[in-house]
Amino acid sequence: MQLLEGEKEQILASVDEVLKNSSKLREDLIPTLQKVQAKLGYLPALAMEKIAEGLNVPAADVYGLVTFYNQFRLNPPGKHQVKVCLGTACYMVGGDITLESFERRMEIREGETSLDRLYSLERVACVGCCTMAPVVVVDEEVEGKVTPTRVDGIMLALQDEEKKSVTEQEPNQGRGEDS
Amino acid sequence: MSEYVTVKIDGQEIKAKPGEKLLWVALDNDIYIPHLCGIRSEERSNASCRLCFVEIEGIPRPVTSCTKTVEDGMVVITRSERVDRLVKTAFELILSDHNLKCRECPANRNCVLQVIAKKRKIKLRHDRFKPIAREYELDDSPAGFAFDRSRCVLCGQCIWADREEAKVGAIGFTKRGINRVVTTFKDLPLAESICTQCMLCVEACPVGALFYKKKEPHTATADKS
Amino acid sequence: MSSLTPKELYNKLSQEAISHDEAHQEKTRVMVGTATCGVAAGALKIKADFIREVEAKNLQDEVDIVEVGCIGHCYAEPLAIIAKPGHPAICYGHLDDGLVHRLVEDFLAGDDPSYEYAMAALERNDVFPTFEDFPRGVYEQKLILEQCGFIDARDINSYIARDGYSALAMALEEKPGWILDEVKASNLRGRGGAGFPAGRKWEACIRSKGEEIYVICNADEGDPGAFMDRSILESDPHLVIEGMILCAFAVGARKGYLYIRAEYPRAVTHVQEAIDQARVKGLLGESILGTDFSFDLEIFQGSGAFVCGEATALVNSMEGKMGMPESRPPRLAQKGYRGKPTVLNNVKTFAYVPLIIRKGAKWFKEIGTPENPGTAVFSLVGKVVNTGLVEVPMGTTLRQLIYEVGDGLPNGKEFKAVQIGGPSGGCLPETALDVPIDFDSLQDAGAIMGSGGLVVMDEDDCMVSVARYFLEFTQHESCGKCTFCRLGTKHMLDILTGITKGEGDDETLNLLEELAEDVRDGSLCNLGRTAPNPVLTTLKYFRDEYKAHILEGRCPAKVCRDLLLYYIEPPKCSKLCNVCVGSCPTEAIFTRDDGLKEIDQEKCVKCDNCLKACPDEYNAVVKLSPPVLPSEKERKAK
Repeated sequence: MQLLEGEKEQILASVDEVLKNSSKLREDLIPTLQKVQAKLGYLPALAMEKIAEGLNVPAADVYGLVTFYNQFRLNPPGKHQVKVCLGTACYMVGGDITLESFERRMEIREGETSLDRLYSLERVACVGCCTMAPVVVVDEEVEGKVTPTRVDGIMLALQDEEKKSVTEQEPNQGRGEDS
Repeated sequence: MSEYVTVKIDGQEIKAKPGEKLLWVALDNDIYIPHLCGIRSEERSNASCRLCFVEIEGIPRPVTSCTKTVEDGMVVITRSERVDRLVKTAFELILSDHNLKCRECPANRNCVLQVIAKKRKIKLRHDRFKPIAREYELDDSPAGFAFDRSRCVLCGQCIWADREEAKVGAIGFTKRGINRVVTTFKDLPLAESICTQCMLCVEACPVGALFYKKKEPHTATADKS
Repeated sequence: MSSLTPKELYNKLSQEAISHDEAHQEKTRVMVGTATCGVAAGALKIKADFIREVEAKNLQDEVDIVEVGCIGHCYAEPLAIIAKPGHPAICYGHLDDGLVHRLVEDFLAGDDPSYEYAMAALERNDVFPTFEDFPRGVYEQKLILEQCGFIDARDINSYIARDGYSALAMALEEKPGWILDEVKASNLRGRGGAGFPAGRKWEACIRSKGEEIYVICNADEGDPGAFMDRSILESDPHLVIEGMILCAFAVGARKGYLYIRAEYPRAVTHVQEAIDQARVKGLLGESILGTDFSFDLEIFQGSGAFVCGEATALVNSMEGKMGMPESRPPRLAQKGYRGKPTVLNNVKTFAYVPLIIRKGAKWFKEIGTPENPGTAVFSLVGKVVNTGLVEVPMGTTLRQLIYEVGDGLPNGKEFKAVQIGGPSGGCLPETALDVPIDFDSLQDAGAIMGSGGLVVMDEDDCMVSVARYFLEFTQHESCGKCTFCRLGTKHMLDILTGITKGEGDDETLNLLEELAEDVRDGSLCNLGRTAPNPVLTTLKYFRDEYKAHILEGRCPAKVCRDLLLYYIEPPKCSKLCNVCVGSCPTEAIFTRDDGLKEIDQEKCVKCDNCLKACPDEYNAVVKLSPPVLPSEKERKAK
């Protein structure tokens, strides 16, 4: 993946900052990856390389770890992240159908990010609120009893929010992205 | 600790060094036990290929011989109905994920899988499990060797050679479960990775996944371009 | 070292906490259940509604609105407890903004507790029944869940005011061996799944005589369908922390870790706050309660791999490696984290420890059965009326748990199976319902206690699909290290997927069963060894359902989508209604010339929307399995 302008610097700065407070031991590898991902939203190759250097671990091992654990992402997530729970209770009441509805509405498959980077869709094993099944996590907000019709509602709300943020941002254009 | 312990394998009394793993004691004494992932100098056995099952008196279920340390008076048999059943299933599972075009394989007649098949009289081609369909690209980027993942059995011998013998760290296991694969950082072709092309991994490969290229005599000196 | 004894220091803390707590109790308290489950049901909005309504009535100086954890009655979320001086504390469920408005106006501003909306009182009184008066109260016995949802999880005083950390103060005046003796005498069995006696584990660790010993709490609850560990950590974190400190004192550890799933952000926050508060009070860190015993805790966030619930995999992941299991021995008690002796216990196991120390091993052994003392905690979910967290003495039968505590199945449906132990557990049929709940009996029946997920299934659940679901889960979560788990579960899944499409014959079932047995006997770790359980139990108890799929192309529960179609029965359909047409995401439903609706089978994605949308007075949409339209059937008959 090609990095956009400024992204490289941002990645290097984030990794440096995290490594500053690190024990530099291999056992700090997972917490380091977690902290860097918390800053960047994902783990670009450059970050993995720098972390490998910093902790003196083969880069191949860092890559192995990142691809092993569910939590880590190699690609930037969408602005809005939808996680559909497919724990037992959710599955039994049609969590897979809810997931399919999202796939249809977002026009992406589970595990992907939409081309405009607005949405990403994931399945998670269990959010731990089985009594509210089927459960969906929309941008960290847990929502219970999500039927296919509720999926439409969630998507409309997200699209509305996007429209609003576009109209709100327009007058500010030219001020740069950071505020 | 005494100098040696005595174990009985398939009726044969054997003196072994204390602390040794059963698998290596048997092999040293010409008693065959199938195995792919075992590395003798490894402190804790990998125990991943699940081929080296034996029965030990007093233990209710077959156990892997690579994880059992010899004990004085241990009575072992290398074949039983239960052992054969587990070994056959494990072997057939491995074959279901292995490119079986042996004639095209540089390791043909020099392949550990063929040895196991012959010794244990298990057919290489079987119809219990459907072959797992995959598409792997051949990595022939190094000058002297190539890597064909469709033949890889994930035994980890190459990674051990890369880490412990060559001390490079170019390759490792990546991903999880059925997607597990031996690869470089970012899945780069070997020649673009930090691989020094020392080819110790090729020596270590028990099948034809890592193999020397033909007709291109090449010394072990690394091509550092 | 302090001149005061641990008990004297503790008494000071306790008095502070009690007066702090009492100051709160003079005011009216509204306690909103905001564990993850409550939040999912809208608890944060309810809290905001309370704040708004209370401010509107200008009562903010007299009313405290606080967040508490989960009281286990998840079916009634969102819920809140109102404790107003002069009234018993009362729990209200199914809250919405209207009800909040009413409660604030009538109860907080006025003095009418609106009993018609109340679920139960929390303490015995003369006016309103308590939860214990519910039929389920006969069977329930809360030990480790006792304080969940009643105390403020984010304030250590709330825990200390209810005897929290008194076990620690007691123990510090004794020799470490005393704790070990009590835990051994209590016969506490590890709640992580297999039920290994905790005391023996601790003792093995002590025997290893390491210079350094670690205590780790396994909170990598990954069973899809279980959430009690999350609930305890979110609702009563100090109970677990106190248990870990006691263990550390017993085995001589100076450092401990809580391995918590990163998917449980609320639990991580609450536990971190609890650790910080305990340090400030001198209950954690250097010289605990003035003694020369020092112990500190840290959280390690798990990165989401189910296999990390396995002890050696968990340790590998803490050491910065892939979470892959190792062959044992050596066991963790000999060679664990950083190669040092390590005690690893589950959240619930540690939670019992303070209670055992406080009340004695004898007290603990009187609960449950002799071989399985104490209680069992389950997250009761699926097709059962009272979903939520339940705690019952070991030895309670499954029938009592499902029908008395859970109040049976909703909508008059027929019971089919109960799944216990998640992906490592099994599905038990009606005939097994009188099996007592304990480690050994469940194992004999083919299931396992596991981490305590309990899913009730009814006639609408397909056992092949359920088995396939669990296999898909374990296959997806297999670390890939060993042959049987990596490839065996993959082939089992492929075979099961084929069966849900009607592919296969009797031989297929035999192959599936053989392979399942070999994966059970040949895998390296317990994840692989138990992965076939859902398949083996469903094959054992529900083989006819498997046969219906492959021999008749029929899914009896009408779940497997390749074996069914959606059909609108013309005699039931109304020309006046268009609901199904609008509900269809793929525009597969059209209006026929006669005004009735029909489904274009080519376009239908079987999403179930139309069936749900069709009004009850018509109920015209039905599922047909095998997927043959009545017209085709007639044609074939001719």
